[in-house]
Amino acid sequence: MTNQTVIKVGSTATGFWGKSRTLLARRTEGRAVVLFAIIATFVTVSQPLVFTAYQVTLGRIALIGLVALGLTAVILMGELDLSVASTLAVSGVIAVTVANQTNMAIGVLAALAAGVVVSLINAFFVAIVGINSFIATLGMLFALRGMAFVIADEAPVKLQNTDLGIAFGQPLLGPLTPRIMIFFLIFIAIQIFVSRVKAGREFLAVGGNRQAAYDAGIPVKRRIFTGFIISGVVASIAGIINAVERTSADPTSGSTVLLASFAAAIIGGNYLKGGKGSIIGTLIGAASLGMLQVALTISGVQIPIQEIFIGGILLIAVITDPSSLRAVWGSLSTTFQGIKNSLAK
Amino acid sequence: MTSPVIEARNIVKSFGGVRAVDDVSVSVMPGEIHAVIGENGAGKSTLMRILAGVETPDSGSVRIDGKEIENSAKASIDAGISLVHQELSLIPEMTVAENIMLGAFPTNGGWTKTKEMKKIAADTLKEIGVEVDLDERISRLSVALRQFVEIARAVARKPKVLILDEPTATLTPAETDYLLSMLQRLASQGLAIIYISHRIPEVFKICNKVTILRDGKLVTNDSIGDLTPDKVIDQMVGRELHLDLTQRRPARELGELVLSAKGIKAPKVNGIDLEVSKGQIVGLGGLVGAGRTELLRAIIGADPRSAGRVTITSNGKKRVITGYLSAIKAGVAYVPEERRTDGLALTMTVAENIFLPNRKEISPTGVMPKGKISAFAKVLSEKVNLRPPEVTREAGQYSGGNQQKIVIAKWLGRKPSFIVLDEPTRGVDVGAKAEIHKLVKELADNGAAVLVISSDLPELLELSDLIHVVRDGKIAGTLTGAEATEKSVMSLAAGEKLVGA
Repeated sequence: MTNQTVIKVGSTATGFWGKSRTLLARRTEGRAVVLFAIIATFVTVSQPLVFTAYQVTLGRIALIGLVALGLTAVILMGELDLSVASTLAVSGVIAVTVANQTNMAIGVLAALAAGVVVSLINAFFVAIVGINSFIATLGMLFALRGMAFVIADEAPVKLQNTDLGIAFGQPLLGPLTPRIMIFFLIFIAIQIFVSRVKAGREFLAVGGNRQAAYDAGIPVKRRIFTGFIISGVVASIAGIINAVERTSADPTSGSTVLLASFAAAIIGGNYLKGGKGSIIGTLIGAASLGMLQVALTISGVQIPIQEIFIGGILLIAVITDPSSLRAVWGSLSTTFQGIKNSLAK
Repeated sequence: MTSPVIEARNIVKSFGGVRAVDDVSVSVMPGEIHAVIGENGAGKSTLMRILAGVETPDSGSVRIDGKEIENSAKASIDAGISLVHQELSLIPEMTVAENIMLGAFPTNGGWTKTKEMKKIAADTLKEIGVEVDLDERISRLSVALRQFVEIARAVARKPKVLILDEPTATLTPAETDYLLSMLQRLASQGLAIIYISHRIPEVFKICNKVTILRDGKLVTNDSIGDLTPDKVIDQMVGRELHLDLTQRRPARELGELVLSAKGIKAPKVNGIDLEVSKGQIVGLGGLVGAGRTELLRAIIGADPRSAGRVTITSNGKKRVITGYLSAIKAGVAYVPEERRTDGLALTMTVAENIFLPNRKEISPTGVMPKGKISAFAKVLSEKVNLRPPEVTREAGQYSGGNQQKIVIAKWLGRKPSFIVLDEPTRGVDVGAKAEIHKLVKELADNGAAVLVISSDLPELLELSDLIHVVRDGKIAGTLTGAEATEKSVMSLAAGEKLVGA
C-alpha cells in the first residue's frame, strides 16, 4: 500500500518576511491597512494636529465606527441592514422620552429592547419569510424613521437630566470619553464573538456558501437572527450615546450614519455578498474615514467637499480589490493579444 | 456472511413528470467499493442525494445496518453517511481546519476549542495522507487540494459509508492515482465506499461491484469480475432505439473554411485546434465538465483565452476574433446553454428579445418604431415556427422549446455565418426538439458553419457531419460517418481506450 506517499502543499515561506507575506495574503484587511497607512502619512504631513488632538479624532472614529461594527456582523453573512440609522434615531428618542418620565436606566433598557424588537422583525422577514434583506430593511428604514417622529412629536426631545449628559461628554479614564470606551469594548466583544465563539465563527460560512453551511448542519436561520440582533442592538447603543451626549434626541439624527457605516465596512475589506471580511477591517476602515474627516475639517474643507473625498476613497478601495484587478488585467491582456495578432498578420 | 451497511430499496424520484430515479435498489457491504455509473442524466447524482438525505424520494427507503433511517441530511449524517459533493461545498474564506470541522466545531460552552479542532483536522489529514497548512484559507488552495480537503471533511465524521460523486473530474492523473489508492486503503479498514464516475478505467482499477443506471433505471448490478469495459459501455448506452440514419445529413463537399481556431488554451481547455467550414455541422461530444462549453466560449471570445488564435471568414473577409464583440461583428450567433439566464430577457416580449441583436438593421437611427419591430419579429418567429407566434407576449411565458426557438430566431435576423449552439435541446419536448434539429440543418444547408455541443448522443450523431470528442480539455478523438456511433463516442469520452496507458 502506498501509505507513505504524501501530497505536501501549503505555505513554504519561512523567515519573518516570508511569514508576514503569507499572513498578509491570508487576511482580507490588506487593502484597508495600505489605505490607512497612506491616509495617516498624508495627514501627518499636512495636518499633524489630527494626532495632537487625538481625543477629537478618536471621538470621530467612534461616532462613525460604532454602527459599522454591528453592521459588519450582518454583512459577513451576505445580508444588509439598511435600518440601522433609523434604529439609532428611534432608540435615542425612546431612551430620552422614557428617561424623562422615569430614570435613565429604564430609558436605556427601553431603547435596547426596541433595538432587539427591530432586529427580530428584520430577521423574521429575511430568514423565515425569505425576503431579500435589502428590501426588508429598507421597509424598516422608513417605518422606524416615521415612528421616531411620532414618538418625539416631530421635534427634538430634551433630556431633563442635563448633568448626566454633560458628564457623559467628559473624559472618564485618562483622555477617553465614555463613547470612545464603549466603542472599543463593543469592538472587542464582537471581534471575540466572531473569532472565538462557535456561532460567530459560523457567520463566515453562512455568508460564504449558505447551502454548504446548511448541509454541514449549521442552523443558518438562527445565525441570521443573531447577526441582526447584534446589528440592531449596537445601533440602539449608538442612538442612546448620541442622545445622552447631546442631551437631546433628534428624530432626524443619524441620517449620514447609514452611508458612513457601509463605507467603513467596505473600505475595511468586507464583501457585501458576504463570506469575506472581518471586524478588524471595519475598525481600520472607520479609523481611515475618521482621520480623513477630522483632517479635512481642520483644513477648513466644507462638508460637501469632504463627501466627495469619501466617495473617491470608497471607489479606490473597491477597485483595488485583487480580484477586480485580475479581471481588468484579464480583459486587457486578451485585447492586447488580439491587437498583436492583427499586427502580426 | 456479512450484511450490507447501506441498503436502498425501490427508490423512486420524479422531477416534473420525468422519472429521474425509477425503482432502483442498491446495497453495499463494509469494505466494498461500489461503482455507480451511467451517462449524463442517468440519475446517479439524484440517487446519491437521496442516500445523503438532501433529496426526498417519492417512495422507497434507505437502511443503515438494517435499520430504516429518516429522510433528512441530519439523520443521514448521524447514521454515518458522508457525501463528497460534485460541486465543492467548502467555505472559501475559512481555513482548512475550520472547513474540515465545519458544523462540528468542538466547543466548550459555546467557545470553540481551536487547538482541539486543529488536532482532529490534522489527524484526519494524516489519515488520508495529505499535508496542508491548517491555517491556510481554502481560496488560496488549488482545485485538487480543495477536493482532498472535502474528502477529509467527510472522513473526519467517521462515516460508515462514504459517497464520492465524480471526485476525479478535476484531478491530474497523478492526483487521481493517489486518490484511488487512498480509497482502497480506507476500504481495507472496513469503510463502505460508493464511487460515482464516468471514467471506466478507474472503476476497473478499484471497484468490487458495479451498478449501472440508464434513464433512471437499474440495468446492471454485477461483480466487476463479470464485466469488461466493453460490456459496461454497451450497458450504459444500450438504448433500444436505433439511430435513424435517414435523419443524418448526407456527406457533402466541404465549402470554404469559416472558423479556424488554433492552439486554444483557457481554463479547462488545454490546447485545441478546430476548424468548421461553410455548410458543415461540427459536433462536440464528451462528458459534462470535459471543457466543451469553456472551449466554445473561448473561441468566440465570450471568456478570455490564455493562448490561441481564432479567425472567422465571412463574405470573403477574414477577421481575427479578439473578444465577443468582434465575434458578433464577424457574424457569430451564440445560443448558450442556459437560455433562461443567458439567452433571453424573460420579462421582455418576444419582439423586444428579437430586436436586441438586430438593433442596427431595424432602426439605424436608434429610434424604436414599435410596428417595425413587431413586423420584423413576426417574420422570424414564423420562420422558427414559434407557437403561438404572438410577439407581444413575454418570453418567459413560453415553454422551454419555444424559448429556444426565440433565441435562434433573434440571431437569424443577422444572417449569421457561424452558429454556435450549446446543448440546444436540453429540457425541450420531443416535438420542439425535432423542429430545432430541422432548423439547425436548414441553417447549414443555407451555408452557415455550425458548431454544436450536445450530451444527447442520438442528437449529436444525427446533426453532426464530424464529431470531436473532448476529454480533459483536449480532443480525445474525431469521428465521421459510420465510425461515429453512440458507443465510439462514449468510449472516447470515458477514456476507455486508455486502459493501462
